[in-house]
Amino acid sequence: MENDAREQLRILERAEAAPYISYPPTPRWYAPAIGAWAAAFIGAFTWWRENTPLFAASLAGLILLELVFVTWMQRRHGALPMPGRGRPPAEIGRVWSRYFVGLLVVCALVGLAWWRIGVAAGAATAFVTVTAGLAYYEYCYAQAAAEVRKRLG
Amino acid sequence: MINGLDPVIHTPKRLAAMAVLANSTTASFRFLRNYLDISDSDLSKHMSALEAAGYVHSAKDGRGRGATTTFKLTRDGQKAYNAHRDALRALLDGPSPEDLPQD
Repeated sequence: MENDAREQLRILERAEAAPYISYPPTPRWYAPAIGAWAAAFIGAFTWWRENTPLFAASLAGLILLELVFVTWMQRRHGALPMPGRGRPPAEIGRVWSRYFVGLLVVCALVGLAWWRIGVAAGAATAFVTVTAGLAYYEYCYAQAAAEVRKRLG
Repeated sequence: MINGLDPVIHTPKRLAAMAVLANSTTASFRFLRNYLDISDSDLSKHMSALEAAGYVHSAKDGRGRGATTTFKLTRDGQKAYNAHRDALRALLDGPSPEDLPQD
């Protein structure tokens, strides 16, 4: 009985990790595309007071684009993990924690550039920081996933 | 139920499928088949059993050859999976001091 339970837990641990470590290679355009999306999102605020319908339409279009992208990602991955759902392996959990800290830093930098210089500077900062941050996150994630694969055998 | 273990989930392939689903938004038929390394018909049988138990919900997208099936854990499935997981842990951790007969 105990051996059976031990074997079941081993199966469980490996299967729980599968969605986090079995994923198709990230395309090269991924980080700059998300950076461009973030820049466009900030840039849309140019029309905030000047042209409300255009501003609303821009935001709606960008949100729709994001939804299409997430759906595509979900299909491509096959079993997309999501923060707040399930039990990520410790190695992945650490990378996710750093990701959210990084996200706060990016928001602070974008906000600062926007406030001190203007919308265009905010958008440019968003493009650079999001692209660089995501590229670095992808690198760290790949390292963590490799560690998990090695640990689970 | 034996020691809180769910007989529907106890089968290794089903347990693994439930574990994948508990850690993803949805899982495609192809992902599960590749991960579990079983045939289409085998996977269909296992997933049908989980669906009949109310643990999994399936959705078909598209028609014909391009159709894709995705699975999602239901709330009952999540509860059953967590209970099964806890029961396995309890089995290995042994009885708590409160559970032992007092002299």
